[in-house]
Amino acid sequence: MSNEFDISHPPFDLLTDAEQQQLLTSLDIGYFGKNEIIIETGQSSDYVFVVMKGAVAEIDTKIEADDPDSGVIREYAQEDIFGAISIINGSSRYTFRTLEETIVWLLPKSLFLKFLDDNPAFAAYFQNTLAEKARLLESRRSKQQGGGDMSAFMLAKVGASVLRDAVVLEAGTSISQATATMREQQADCLLVRKGDQYGMVTRTDLLEGVVLNNLGLDTDICDLASYKLLTVQFDDFLFNALVLMTRHKIQRVVVFEGSQLAGLVELTDVLSFFSSQSHVIGLQIERASNLFELARAAKGTTALVSGLVSQGVKIRFAMDLLAALNGRIIAKAFEQLVPEEIRQKCCLLVMGSEGRGEQVLKTDQDNALILADDLDWPECSKVMDKFTATLLEFGYPLCPGNIMVSNPEWVMTESQWNKKLAQWSGSVEGTGLMNLAIFVDAHAVAGDTRLFNRVRDQLFTKLEGNEVFYSYFAMPLRRFSTPLTFFGGLKNSDGMDIKKGGIFPIVHGVRTMSLQHKLRETNTFQRLEKLAERKIIKKKFAEDLAEALAVMSTLRLQQQLRAQRGEVAMDEANLVSAVNLNKLDRDLLREALHLVKEFKSRMSHRYHLER
Amino acid sequence: MVLKTIRSATDKWTQKDGEFSFLFEPYEGDEVVALDCEMTDLDPQKAELVSIAAVKIKGTQVLTSDKLDIKLQKPDSLTGDSIKIHRIRGVDLRGGEILTDALDQLLHFVGNRPIMGYYINYDITVLNRFIRPRFGFSLPNKTLELSNCYLDKVRRANPELQPDLHFEKIAEKLGVPMVGERHSALGDAITTALMYVRLLKGPVPTC
Repeated sequence: MSNEFDISHPPFDLLTDAEQQQLLTSLDIGYFGKNEIIIETGQSSDYVFVVMKGAVAEIDTKIEADDPDSGVIREYAQEDIFGAISIINGSSRYTFRTLEETIVWLLPKSLFLKFLDDNPAFAAYFQNTLAEKARLLESRRSKQQGGGDMSAFMLAKVGASVLRDAVVLEAGTSISQATATMREQQADCLLVRKGDQYGMVTRTDLLEGVVLNNLGLDTDICDLASYKLLTVQFDDFLFNALVLMTRHKIQRVVVFEGSQLAGLVELTDVLSFFSSQSHVIGLQIERASNLFELARAAKGTTALVSGLVSQGVKIRFAMDLLAALNGRIIAKAFEQLVPEEIRQKCCLLVMGSEGRGEQVLKTDQDNALILADDLDWPECSKVMDKFTATLLEFGYPLCPGNIMVSNPEWVMTESQWNKKLAQWSGSVEGTGLMNLAIFVDAHAVAGDTRLFNRVRDQLFTKLEGNEVFYSYFAMPLRRFSTPLTFFGGLKNSDGMDIKKGGIFPIVHGVRTMSLQHKLRETNTFQRLEKLAERKIIKKKFAEDLAEALAVMSTLRLQQQLRAQRGEVAMDEANLVSAVNLNKLDRDLLREALHLVKEFKSRMSHRYHLER
Repeated sequence: MVLKTIRSATDKWTQKDGEFSFLFEPYEGDEVVALDCEMTDLDPQKAELVSIAAVKIKGTQVLTSDKLDIKLQKPDSLTGDSIKIHRIRGVDLRGGEILTDALDQLLHFVGNRPIMGYYINYDITVLNRFIRPRFGFSLPNKTLELSNCYLDKVRRANPELQPDLHFEKIAEKLGVPMVGERHSALGDAITTALMYVRLLKGPVPTC
């Protein structure tokens, strides 16, 4: 059957069987010529339209003449729905006009309104924000593909999965008592309460205390405990606990529910829960005693990530995990090449998408080094050349802009860095501001982090209140247009650069706001959360932007994986074509691009970019 | 043509007080009915009806919500040899009442609207073969031939052209999607309706 009305797509799959039957017998078909107006601004609509063939644009006629996109708000192609919102609101905010000859299914207004009344799920579909809609579509998609297990599994919460009760002892308990209790409770570690603080004591701590440090058996276990505990919340994703353990090379994290202790999560339990390769790679990295072994571990990360994503793991989790793994690979390589005493006097930064923790495949090396002012290290450039070459061998391509430690311009002492950053932020031309943008995403991975913190904080202070600077800094937002006219004429659409048109505007806009508000987070998702928390942008808008970024990153990753498998040319790795998208992805992408456009116009207003 | 006019005039006279007198009123509205039948044979004198589908067209809308889609029951005993020998009698006996009901529904659905279709005269001829013995008249409706509409439109732009008049080809040239299964009466009726609407409204197709 071809060109039958497809009721298996959202939102029509939300209707009951009887409603679906009623729908199918009530549909008419309408034909519209090219450039014909279907609904005029301010008019109500007698139908909900579903495109059978053709393309329709939703146009803001007030700005049509001056707008670079001719006032196009959204476009609709095969199987897309429009007119519903016009019916719900009583009149249409914009004008709907065909871009080419168009055939549409017509769902009568009266029946649509009846469905809205009778079927809450159907009604909710038309009122949802992008974030809600994406969740809805995703859960339905994973159900349809039968792959729901994996994502449900990856979405397991800490509290509901592998939480263990913690053995808690009071301060003043002796080593021998503690050991007896652990044996009794079959625990590998216990928590000790000292005032309102908790410390952790493991079997290893007890053993080393007694054997190596000659502590008596009646020593207070408070002296053995470590108080820098890493914690997760009861309702956190278990995946986050895994990322945390991977990042900090630890075996267990403490779980709190609010401020109340809830228990412990052990690495072994998490691993038996996720029988994924992530920790296998983590272990390989830790155990690698030379660069060769490290290289082998590094090569496994790409397969791991594409595996996770294809199994339906949320891209944000995959990004987090990969950032944790990559960070450790780079740090470890640095440790192998740079002697200990030097490492204490310098700080290695990763920047760009690596710094933001947002790449899913290995991207170009973007790194820099801060040296302490009193460090004398003649071999510096030699070692850094070797470092860059090593990462290349690991599969991290060279940075085409030469923003790498092998380039002496990115290896400077602390005071040189301060001077350079001041110079960049004082310049209004492209390169300086671009370099600054790269630095703003920097994240310390090895060496003495304090060096970096000082340099960054000085930058924050220096830029405080400098409105003119932010206006220049935000300017590149206007460089690439966000194509909303990309769904029309589906057959000859050759794709859009999703990185420039969709991802960059969000990343850069959020980066600008983060710089202005001195946020230390480098990850765009975390920055958005922080901006919302500080009420700099609305929570709902921040959530929608995060979802839009996730949607576009996922589409980009799929295309990148295709390029890697040789199915498309490498220079098309960022091109997403509407032709190849299924209906669900197309819906999400349309909403995402629409949000990007709105975000850009808000940013233009905030930073006075219209000049 | 003349023959049809005379025949219709006669039918109109005989039916003037009958149940179907409305069929003979001149049509004032703006609707057209797209019609398609599936039949067992290409010879209109032998063909039997398998299904009848019709859909109304109003302006540029195809009213698929107001449609007729009848599948005629094939008598089970009517297989093999029995078809060879008793074909027409068998249909008359076993399927007769159902066929009469179907035709009655069709007449009420179509009313006095013009009938449009692809090679529509063939369908009309077969229908009349079954209508006349039962109701005493033939369909008086004005008919519109899709392939002629298409040919006119193409020729108006370029008189030299000999366009391909295959059903699929016309649909392709007009950019009209095939609806439903090809050779299902309803699917073809809707596709024909869409092509008709497209011809009325859209630009001249390029060949």
